[in-house]
Amino acid sequence: MKKFTNLLFKEIRELINKQLIFSLVFTLIIFYFIGQIARQEAKRAEGIRRIGVLDLDRSPLSRGLLDNLRLVRFKIDEFETGDKEEALRLARERNLAFLLVIPSGLSEGIERLETRELETYSFLRSFSMAEARYGEIFRVILDTANNYLSNEILKKKWPEISPENLKKPLKSRDFVIVRENRAEASASAIAGFMYAQSIFVPIILAMILIYSSQMVISAIAMEKQNKTLETLLTVPISRSSIVAAKMLAAGIVGLISTLIYLAGFRWYMRSFTGDIAEAASSITTVIKELGLSLTTAGSIILLFSLFLAILCALALATILGVLAEDYRSAQSLIMPLILLVMIPYILSIFTDLRTLSLPAKILIYAIPFSHPFMTTQNILFHNYMAIGAGIVYMLVVFIILVIIAARIFSTDRVLTMKLRWRRRQVVL
Amino acid sequence: MATVLEVRGLRKFYGHFEALKGISFEVREGEIFGLIGPNGAGKTTTLRIVATLLAMSGGQVKLLGYDLRENPEKFRENISYLPEEAGAYRNLTGLDYLRFMARFYDRSPEETERFIERAMAIAGLGDRLKDKVGTYSKGMVRKLLLARALMTKPVLAILDEPTSGLDVINSLEVRDIIKRYAREGLSVLLSSHNMLEVEYLSDRVALIDQGKILDIGTPQELKEKYEAPNLEVVFRRIVQ
Repeated sequence: MKKFTNLLFKEIRELINKQLIFSLVFTLIIFYFIGQIARQEAKRAEGIRRIGVLDLDRSPLSRGLLDNLRLVRFKIDEFETGDKEEALRLARERNLAFLLVIPSGLSEGIERLETRELETYSFLRSFSMAEARYGEIFRVILDTANNYLSNEILKKKWPEISPENLKKPLKSRDFVIVRENRAEASASAIAGFMYAQSIFVPIILAMILIYSSQMVISAIAMEKQNKTLETLLTVPISRSSIVAAKMLAAGIVGLISTLIYLAGFRWYMRSFTGDIAEAASSITTVIKELGLSLTTAGSIILLFSLFLAILCALALATILGVLAEDYRSAQSLIMPLILLVMIPYILSIFTDLRTLSLPAKILIYAIPFSHPFMTTQNILFHNYMAIGAGIVYMLVVFIILVIIAARIFSTDRVLTMKLRWRRRQVVL
Repeated sequence: MATVLEVRGLRKFYGHFEALKGISFEVREGEIFGLIGPNGAGKTTTLRIVATLLAMSGGQVKLLGYDLRENPEKFRENISYLPEEAGAYRNLTGLDYLRFMARFYDRSPEETERFIERAMAIAGLGDRLKDKVGTYSKGMVRKLLLARALMTKPVLAILDEPTSGLDVINSLEVRDIIKRYAREGLSVLLSSHNMLEVEYLSDRVALIDQGKILDIGTPQELKEKYEAPNLEVVFRRIVQ
């Protein structure tokens, strides 16, 4: 055990070098600052919006419309001129983003139930996120105006009936059923919330798998490049301990790196999604009622599934690492493994892996790294057979890969096996 | 003198190519045994098999009576191997590297410190041992690795081309280290294509070419037998 820990600490020390620390810190800082800037932009876009208004109607109806716009957080700069071009000039001078022109005769037209056109002018000065969000203002203005005007008409015609009841005589109560649980909520809201809450899970999975694999391939390739492998293989420690120490060290450093990257990524994402905890307060009860929150047992199953996937990745990376002649070739050899991780990762974002066609399903299920991507949903929907089958499959794949890796390390193939790209053949 | 290493009928195939064609020799306790021959003669293959890196295709290798096929771990406990193109971990300091390697052999922390003190004396690198290996010159790395190989007082030190790629001064220093520390009782199996170096270092030598041992003896015996002034001429006369 002493020899194993000695080797393990050396491996960790080799992996946590200045380059890795610099890369982690730099990425963290970049994520943090981009996130802060994006958040400030978003806040600015959501703040009180100033618009210019040229009211050519000046009727009680148009004044009421402007009062309604103020109620939905618009600050109105009203121009006293009667000329549209003059109003545009003034709006430009005051650096306003919008100008709303209310046409004359609006009130009379509405009285006669005729359609009238509002004119909106948008001053596009950049293509930033804040500018893009201003586009929504058009819709808000039009919705506010239409709602106000239709309510006024209906109130005049049928003063004793609420305009809302007339406009929406049918109302709905939405219920969602998950297994035997039922709760009052909209299916899209629940699905949206679950997606937002679990968006990090596939990212974590993909990052841990790729990082750990890269670490172990690099560790073996560096041993070859620095000519230290031969010496290491002649010291009194079993070859399986050498393999295990490299895999464990890569797993630990890969996990730490992923957590650090993820913290930075979370800062960045919060600027777009907002604090999930804040948003969750109203929907959490419904989620619990539906049994969609991950229990401790569920979390343990998910972690175990992830752990097995990491072991498979590390074992495969160890075999690929033996084929590498140096650090550079190791970077090419990691590509097949990255692809195997990225296929289920990308598919899990855009579709439900369980609903794919049979050939696609066979292909996806054959990739051991696909199973943890499906585990969360399988846990929530109590598909325990699928979880069990996935775990058994990953275990079998891991055992096979470890046997291959151990056999390679216990023979001279660890030194003689390499992939020669020019000849495109494995030399044993 | 007792026999430490016994090699009998050793054969090695790389695919269809027969690199070793049944070579036999033995290394005695406290002796420096040199394998000399041109590039591709089979020296490194022999050393790598004894160092447990390569599997043999035929024959028998025994260290202190332990068979290599049955007890490779006994070999690893009792040997120390210095490959021709060896390196050390560039991110570790020289001292950390020695400590890392010593821990595979020690039985107590005190023994680790004794190994390191011995290695420091052998390497003669002084305070530079506190610097990272990545900052060392080739000669310094070689001395560090030689110190690593000898610090644990192995039963058999296997040194493949110990002065390979070194300048004259560093080569002389490395030869002196081998000569000095071998006298403390450890056995050495070394190889070199530099026949004059082997002649200077070795108690006995085996001349090897194309996977076969051509002759074995002390440098003096071989020179007298073939009436040659040095081993280079001996080798040329045998081959011709």
